[in-house]
Amino acid sequence: MQEDNFPCQDIMTAVDFLQNFLNGISIGSVYAIFALGYTLVFSILGIINFAHSAVFTLGAYLTYSLAVGQFGISGILAGFRIPFQLSFPISLLIGAVLSGITGVLVERCAFRPLRARDADSLMALVSSLGVALVAVNVIQYLAGSEIYSFPADVYGDIRPAIMFHVAGKVVVIRTVQVIIFAVSMVILAILVYLINFTRIGKALRAVAENTSTSSLLGINVDRFILYTFFLSGFLGGIAGSLVGTSFGIAGPYFGVTYGLKGLAVIVLGGMGSVPGTVFGGLIIGLTEAFVPSDYSAYKEAVAFAFLLIVLLVRPQGLLGQSQIHKV
Amino acid sequence: MEDFLQNNGFLLVTLTQQALLAISLYYPLMTGQLSVASPGFYAVGGYIAAIMGTIDFFAPWRAVLGWAIFPLEWLIAGLVSAVLAVLVGIPALRLRGIYLALATIAFVEILRVLCLNMEITGGAIGIFGVPQMFENRWSYIWVFGPLLIIMLLFTWRLEQTRVGRAFKAVREDEMAADCMGVNPTYFKVMAFVIGAVLAGVVGAMSAPFLNTWNARQGTFDASIAYLAYVLIGGSRSMWGPVMGAILLAALPEILRPLKDARLIINGLVLIIASIYLPQGIVGALQRLRIFMIRRVSSMSGGS
Repeated sequence: MQEDNFPCQDIMTAVDFLQNFLNGISIGSVYAIFALGYTLVFSILGIINFAHSAVFTLGAYLTYSLAVGQFGISGILAGFRIPFQLSFPISLLIGAVLSGITGVLVERCAFRPLRARDADSLMALVSSLGVALVAVNVIQYLAGSEIYSFPADVYGDIRPAIMFHVAGKVVVIRTVQVIIFAVSMVILAILVYLINFTRIGKALRAVAENTSTSSLLGINVDRFILYTFFLSGFLGGIAGSLVGTSFGIAGPYFGVTYGLKGLAVIVLGGMGSVPGTVFGGLIIGLTEAFVPSDYSAYKEAVAFAFLLIVLLVRPQGLLGQSQIHKV
Repeated sequence: MEDFLQNNGFLLVTLTQQALLAISLYYPLMTGQLSVASPGFYAVGGYIAAIMGTIDFFAPWRAVLGWAIFPLEWLIAGLVSAVLAVLVGIPALRLRGIYLALATIAFVEILRVLCLNMEITGGAIGIFGVPQMFENRWSYIWVFGPLLIIMLLFTWRLEQTRVGRAFKAVREDEMAADCMGVNPTYFKVMAFVIGAVLAGVVGAMSAPFLNTWNARQGTFDASIAYLAYVLIGGSRSMWGPVMGAILLAALPEILRPLKDARLIINGLVLIIASIYLPQGIVGALQRLRIFMIRRVSSMSGGS
């Protein structure tokens, strides 16, 4: 009797594995594109943009406003309804572009004035946190602190989930997960193309390699820094909107957790490395998905445990290059 | 006077407490190490005081020791923080700059998640009804105030000793210090441990003051707040963190009439201060003094 059970259990664990794998790859791909926003800025300025999580949050609220446009009760916009609604793909795109523009504003307000004064790079940390504080509280002022969730039919008239019956167990693939994964992969492909095969990408790589040399070679460094912040904001906005549609927008501070996890992702992959970031995002997404449900409360610590271990064991990250400190 | 204390006593004690936490973050920075681990040790200290003050296991201790249980709580919080700081500090302080900051952020977050899920820390609800030291809130100035004075005197004296000069040498140039026979790791860990012990003791004093303790006490937000105190105040002198903490912690209270907009203003202050006060408030005051002295001397030279 017991022997009969074994193969069946194998299939069941395989089904669980499949389900966890699908969940992990979907959330991991969002982590990846979100964290790429940090990576791009870090590779050029060597600074972490702590306003990135605020841009993530803003992107989610913008997409929500354009696609749904119904506000809650506690903000200044209480009960207000935007008179038009756009389809989800267009809202996502406009939301992301506006987030990109916000990224440019962050650079102009928080980073450029400090570069112009040749200030300590630590101060950029404070100024970008200041921008984040302003952005998040403006959102709270306008939209209040309640939870916003996208309606189930936001993608149009498609089924919310596909179910497979495998060996008597159900594997659920939520439509949201498919959309998240697909959008992330498309964005990633475009980004890789942009960086590796275009003139803009070439210039960006040159600026990342050495700012003063590329400036001497006739590249307008400040302009390419602006492009970088636009791309970074765009990625943050897309990621925020995707997470928002999947899990809802849990108030103006919901980006903070993702912001911190994004830091773990870039450290895991190697700071400034694009393939490393993608890799890091997928690893953290998958690991979180495989945390047994009995310990799900500790899921939030997974990313930080990775961060600590990687920093202590291999500070350059999985795909980063180690630096030699010269005198 | 009594009225003033009734109305503003809580704020006064909070400012003192925040100044102490700012000093705890300033210590690693004295050796050039950007660590934001203070909220983690602050949380640990608070939990120790809250647990010792509430659970049955310590009931006989409380009965015997009476009021003396509080100093014992501070002592244990300080010792536990020191041990934890050595364990975390020795591997983590090999990291530089932003990497150390990220590692300490991870440390704070992992502690938070643990405290949120363990039984002894009260889980998500936290620990309620921590016994009070005094009948009213403002009286806590009698513990936080002396501690701040002691810390200021200690830091002032330390800066003039061999240890203080070693801290400075490591901050200015680690490799040069190493060549001159100053062991950078030893002094970096020492500074980190002093900061951690201070944060732990302040936590142990704060649990009775706040009456309740939960996982929201040591968070990333707190890390940012303390860092802003030090950098806005000025990271080159012990007066920087104190002034930064008092000004920035008082700001939301001063702006209270603005209600929801006050955190927006707070953010704007951070942006403007980091752009226009790159050396912090203390640095700006020093430049102002030098400017005044030059002006006075040039005027007297002209006459």
